[in-house]
Amino acid sequence: MHAETKVPEPDFLPREAFDAVERVRQVDVVIGIPSYNNARTIGHVTRAAQAGLEKYFPQLKAVIINSDGGSSDGTRDAVLASRLDTSQLLIFNTPLFPVHRLSFPYHGIPGKGSAFRLIFQMASMLGARGCVVIDSDLRSITPEWIDLLLRPVLHAGFDFTAPFYHRHKYDGTITNSIVYPLTRALYGLRVRQPIGGDFGLSSRMVNRYLSRRDWQGNAARYGIDVWMTTIAIAEGYRVCQSFLGAKLHDPKDPGADLSEMLHQVVGSVFTLMQEYESVWKHTTSSKDADLFGFRFGVGLDPVEVNTGRMLGLFQRASHELKEVWALALKPRTLDELGKISAALESSSRNGFHLDDELWVRVVMDFAVAWRDRPAERGHLLRSLTSLYLARVASFVLETRDLVSDQVEDKIEHLCLCFEKLKPYLISGWDCAAAPVQSAGRELENAADGARAEAVLED
Amino acid sequence: MIQLAERIARDTMERLSRLTTDHLPALLAALFILLVAWGLAAVMRGLLIRIFRGARIDRFLKRSGLASLLPGDGPVRATHMAARGAYWAILAGGFLLALSAFDTQLTSRMIESVLFMVPKLFAGAVILVAGVWVSRYLGRSALVWAFNEGLPSSRRIGQAVRVVVIFVTVVVAADYLNFARNVFLASFVLIVGGAMLAGGLALGLAGRKTIERYLEGKEPEKEEQPEQAVWKHL
Repeated sequence: MHAETKVPEPDFLPREAFDAVERVRQVDVVIGIPSYNNARTIGHVTRAAQAGLEKYFPQLKAVIINSDGGSSDGTRDAVLASRLDTSQLLIFNTPLFPVHRLSFPYHGIPGKGSAFRLIFQMASMLGARGCVVIDSDLRSITPEWIDLLLRPVLHAGFDFTAPFYHRHKYDGTITNSIVYPLTRALYGLRVRQPIGGDFGLSSRMVNRYLSRRDWQGNAARYGIDVWMTTIAIAEGYRVCQSFLGAKLHDPKDPGADLSEMLHQVVGSVFTLMQEYESVWKHTTSSKDADLFGFRFGVGLDPVEVNTGRMLGLFQRASHELKEVWALALKPRTLDELGKISAALESSSRNGFHLDDELWVRVVMDFAVAWRDRPAERGHLLRSLTSLYLARVASFVLETRDLVSDQVEDKIEHLCLCFEKLKPYLISGWDCAAAPVQSAGRELENAADGARAEAVLED
Repeated sequence: MIQLAERIARDTMERLSRLTTDHLPALLAALFILLVAWGLAAVMRGLLIRIFRGARIDRFLKRSGLASLLPGDGPVRATHMAARGAYWAILAGGFLLALSAFDTQLTSRMIESVLFMVPKLFAGAVILVAGVWVSRYLGRSALVWAFNEGLPSSRRIGQAVRVVVIFVTVVVAADYLNFARNVFLASFVLIVGGAMLAGGLALGLAGRKTIERYLEGKEPEKEEQPEQAVWKHL
C-alpha cells in the first residue's frame, strides 16, 4: 500500500484559482482539460464531459477545469460559454449538483505538463476522489469516455486508467515504435496507449504526482503523459485500461517542432529509466493490464504519410549526423544503418526496410547514451528524429496492404523484440555505469554481455 | 721532448681530476635526484590510477564530454592519461631539480624561466582544452539544429562553428601568453569583419522581397508547411 503523500504548498496557481477553491470548497470529481488555441473543438469536449458526468455520475459533485496556456482564439470563452442541452441525452436521474465550469491560465513553463499541474493541484485542494484529464482537440469523445475513465477509479479501486483506442495504423507512431514497446519491456505491464493523453486518476495518484519535484523538465511539456504512466506502473499503483473507441483529433500544431516533441517524450522515458533502474532491471516479462469497456470496430480518418520525404531525411542524416550518432550507437549498429542507407541509394525506396532488431538496438543504445552523456543529451535526442522517421517509413511500407489486426501483430513482434533484447540494454547500461569493477563483477558483466550477444545471434 | 709529453699528460690528468672532483658530485647528485623522481613518478602514477578510479573521474569526464577530447579509446583511458601526465610532470620536475644540482648560471636561468612559464603554459593549455570542448559542443549543436531546420550542408555549418570557436580560443590563448598577439588579433578582426559583411549581404539579398513587401505595407507570403504532412500521423 502507498502511504498518503504530502503535497507541497502550491506557488504556481493564479489568484483566481484560489478564489474558485474558496467558492466551490469541495467536489467528488475533477475533469481537467488542458488547452492552447483549441476554440474549435474544446466546446464539444466540455459538453461531452458535462454530459458524461450528468448521465453516469448524477449523485457526485463535479467541476470541469480548463487549464489554458494563453490561447488567443477565445478557447477559454468557448469553455465558459458551452451549454449542454440535457433533454436529448435521455438522462433519467436528475443531477444533484450543477457541474461547474472553470477556466484559468496556468503559470510556469508553457506546456501540457504545466497545465496538468494546475488541474491536479486544484483537484487536491478540492478534495476530489477522482480526476479525469482529456485532450481538448478530440473530435471523437463521447460522454461514455468519462464513465470508462472514472468508474475503474471510483468503483474498482484502480489508481490509474489509461485509454485504449482504435487508431489508424499510421496514427500514433511514437507510441507504436518507441514508447509502448519500451515501456512494456521495461516495466512489464502492457499499457497500449501510455501517451494517449486521456486518463482517469485516483486522489492518491494525483497527490503522488504533485509531491514530485521534477515538474520543470520534460514533464512540464509533451513528456507528461509517459511520465504519469511510468510513475503509476513503476511505483506499483493499480493500473488498468478502458476501451474508448476511436481516437480522432485535430492534427497537432504544425508550428511545433517534431524533433522537439520526440525529444520531450523520449527524454522523459529515458530520465525515468534512471530513476526506476532497480525496478526495470528485475522485470523479466510482461503481462496484460486489465481492460474495461466493450470493444467494437470503428471507422477511422485516413492518415497520409510521405515516406519519400522521410527516407530522404534519413539518407541525408546518415551522411551528416553520423558524428552525433556515433556518440550513442555501437559500431555494429552504426555500420548496419550505413549499409541500409547506402542500399537506399542504389535500390527502390519501396523496398526500404529497417528491421525490428536494429531499431530496438538503436533505441537501447540511445537510452544508454542518454544516461552516460548528460552534456550531449539534446544533440543525441534531436539526432534521433531522422532515425525515427526512417523506422516509421519502413513500418508504413511494410504495412501498406495489411489490415489493423495484422498491423497489431507487427507491433506485437516489435514488443517481443524489445523484451528479448533487454539483456543487451542491461549489459550496455551496466558497462557504462560502473567503471570501477572488481574482477568478479567484470566477469559477471562479461557473462551478461555474452548473453546479450547470444540473444542478438538468435 | 719526453719531459714535455710527461707535463702534458700530468696536466691532462690534473685537469681531468679537477673536472671530476668539481662536477662528478653534482652529476651524481643529479642522477640520484632523477632516480628518486622516477621512483616517485612511478608510485604517483599507480596511486593516481587507484584514486581516480575510486573517484570515478572517468565517468565524470565521459559524462561531461571531456573524454572525447582525449585520444584513444577504452573504458579507463582518461585515468591513464591523467596518471601518465602526472608521471611525466614529476619526471620533468626531477629533471629541473637535477639541473639545479649543477648550480651554474645557465641552469639557474633555465630553471627560472621554466618555473616562470609553467603556470602560464598551464593556463594557456586549459584555455585551449576548454575552447576545443566548447567548439565541439557548439559545432554539434549547430549541426543538429541546421539539419533539423532543413538547411543545406549542415555538416559544413557545424564545422564552420567549430573552426570559429577554435580560432577565438587560439586568439585568447595567444593574447594570454603574449605570443604574436597583434598578428592573431588583426586576423581575428579581419575574419569576423569579413564574416559579418558576408552575412549582412546574404541576409539583405535573401530578404529583399520581404522587405519590399513590408515597405509596401503587404503581409509577407506564408509558405505551405511541408512538415505537416510528415508528422501529421503522430
